[in-house]
Amino acid sequence: MFLGFKISQFILFQTVIVSCCLLLFSCGEKKEIQTYEIPSEYDGPVVTWELPDEWGENPDLSGPMAGSFHVKTELGPMGRIGVMPFRESVSSTDVANMFGMELGQSTISDDELKEISEIKLIEGREFEWIWLSDKSHEGSTRAVLLALFRDKGETWLFPFIADHDLIKSQTRNFESFLASTTLRAGAIEIRAKAPALPPPPPAHHAHHNQGPTWDIPSHWVKSEASSVRLASYEVTDVNGSTLDFSVTSFPGDVGGILANVNRWLGQIGIDSVEQDGLKKYISPIILDEKDAQLVIAEGATDSLYAAILVVEGRSWFFKITGDRTLAKVEKSNFLSFLDSVCFH
Amino acid sequence: MSKEINTRKKRKSSLGSRRKKFAWLVPFASIRLTLTLLSLSMILIFVATLEQVRIGIRGALAEYFESMFGIWHYPEQFWGGEFLHAFPLPVPGGYLLGGLLIVNLTAAYITRFQWTGKKMGIQLIHLGIIMLLVGQLATQAMQEESRMQINKGESSNYIERFHGVELAFSDVTVPNTQKVVTIPQDILEDGGTVRTADLPFKIKVKKFGVNCDFTVTPQGSNREGQAKEVNRGVGQTANLTIRDKEEDFSSEGLNFGYLIFEIFDGTKSLGTWLSLAHPGGNHWWKQSPKLSDFAFQPIRHDGRLWGVTLRSEREYLPYSIELIDVENEFYQGTEIPFNFESDIVLNMEKNQTRQALVYMNTPLRHAGKTFYQYQMNAAADYTVFQVIRNPSWLVPYIACILVSIGLLWQFSFHLVRFLRKNSNNAQPA
Repeated sequence: MFLGFKISQFILFQTVIVSCCLLLFSCGEKKEIQTYEIPSEYDGPVVTWELPDEWGENPDLSGPMAGSFHVKTELGPMGRIGVMPFRESVSSTDVANMFGMELGQSTISDDELKEISEIKLIEGREFEWIWLSDKSHEGSTRAVLLALFRDKGETWLFPFIADHDLIKSQTRNFESFLASTTLRAGAIEIRAKAPALPPPPPAHHAHHNQGPTWDIPSHWVKSEASSVRLASYEVTDVNGSTLDFSVTSFPGDVGGILANVNRWLGQIGIDSVEQDGLKKYISPIILDEKDAQLVIAEGATDSLYAAILVVEGRSWFFKITGDRTLAKVEKSNFLSFLDSVCFH
Repeated sequence: MSKEINTRKKRKSSLGSRRKKFAWLVPFASIRLTLTLLSLSMILIFVATLEQVRIGIRGALAEYFESMFGIWHYPEQFWGGEFLHAFPLPVPGGYLLGGLLIVNLTAAYITRFQWTGKKMGIQLIHLGIIMLLVGQLATQAMQEESRMQINKGESSNYIERFHGVELAFSDVTVPNTQKVVTIPQDILEDGGTVRTADLPFKIKVKKFGVNCDFTVTPQGSNREGQAKEVNRGVGQTANLTIRDKEEDFSSEGLNFGYLIFEIFDGTKSLGTWLSLAHPGGNHWWKQSPKLSDFAFQPIRHDGRLWGVTLRSEREYLPYSIELIDVENEFYQGTEIPFNFESDIVLNMEKNQTRQALVYMNTPLRHAGKTFYQYQMNAAADYTVFQVIRNPSWLVPYIACILVSIGLLWQFSFHLVRFLRKNSNNAQPA
């Protein structure tokens, strides 16, 4: 007995309460998968496509790219096809020059562009079709096919970067891919910082199975590369101040970090340092998932920003140096460049 | 005189027949049971108040009031706590005590009370208390709490639950309208593969958690924890490391729900994604450039663009609220809020509009929902309403009216009888 209850009464009592509670809770809505339509809340660009069977998708999208693909071949993924929405209208000549410079071409004029471009009508839409070939190295078969679509002041760029023969063999797939696209600009402004760049010149391949790629800020002007310099650019401002940018690569450690940093410090008028003093100028960074060293040294008039990376026994130097004020302005572009370096 | 005696006998026999008929209810009507339950209720409130400091209001509610039993550990900081803390003490929960009190009062109503005008006051008082208890139980079962954030000059037509998330897929391919398919938390918790005719792909739930710690792993470093296998979307590009975490019940607690899922087109895997739900609403992700895509991770499939996001459970309303202005006032020289005020326009169906001012203790009531002023940021020009839907919100009011009438009736009855008696005694001999 408990408070005058028999055990059986108590159990009955509990059952009644639990049943009441369960009944109450069972009245609540059972959560199920729901489908409904609402006025569109999405204000971004809409770009959709259907991929040809022979193509695969690259998951590592970066920058302004809405999509990135490759061609499946027996040798593995080859080439690179991209989708880049621009909120603004960009001139075909500018786009052609952005890619052309990377292919070692001199500046393409409007008249020259007419010779290498044509209008293709694909599924009722007009695409501007521009062919660019690699002129940086004799015998190079690298090429870029650019397809530009314009609609109401907006531009959609589809670069196809690959071996010339591969592009030719995939032209039909490229056309069917373009035909399948749905393109709608969004309210959010998208500005391409830099286009998808072609793979580096074949000269790298002698040193490395597959050389790195990178994105160069569009306003950096290509200067003459040499047997030592794998890439060479110049940055100039309105005052005539300049910065010199270079990418170099050598086997081994080329004397080590201390020796190289001291050499660079000397170039901008800073005294050499001992091992302990090195910390003042270098800090660790990650370049393409690899440990590297970032060097920042600012002299009285000149500055130097550089990154040193050792990959498979080779040293890679990415360096920009010159006017201190301009270097400060370009520092973020240099760091963005480092972010874009990719060893495939 | 004999007529009065007959009526009294009749009433007694009526109560007697009820007691006979419901003999099994008699023990439940015990006044000892009432007092025991009330005493236990006091203990429950004391224990839950102590625990509220440790586990927060929502934790204390779930552990002690929304359960049959709660387990309490004597606080370590109390006298002898170092020894007594180890022993778990079962405490009767709110559902058990509330349920027992309802039965106890109902049994007393049937087997103890005389259904006469003289005792009507007592009956009304008890009926009111029963209604209060039942009303509270109904509130707990049916009440929904949500929030609505509106930026100044903008309007909103949806509310989001404070607790509970959903995985939402939105097809935005067609301009002007978007199709939304939502998978509720219950299904995500069950795991497995989710198929629905409204989605052109199936979703395999790999890991779901109501809270997590997330960190942006430096590029080049290997991701650790739950998100190792993520190879698409923000989880991959931001290189996020996820660690499962217990749900935080405290009032300041921020619970970031997470879901790792793989999408299949037939048997072909399209990749594994990570989605994180921001406790304040997914629009907050825009503040973090690297994670902003958590509000809309694109998935392209069969020529259509879908966006996926794990978000607070959302309910769209057939009306919208536009925020015209916000104002907050503080006590002079302090940062203690004196008044938060939102000037709004309610845009209803059929192009009807209504202007209203929502401020502390003056909510907006519309279509079964009450919008209370909840948060405000005048500097950032937005307001947040707490939105309550409680179908049984009238029950406590009715219960209080019944108790008041009952008390008034009972006291009036005794007062009249007392006055009558007094006036009779005052008559000269």
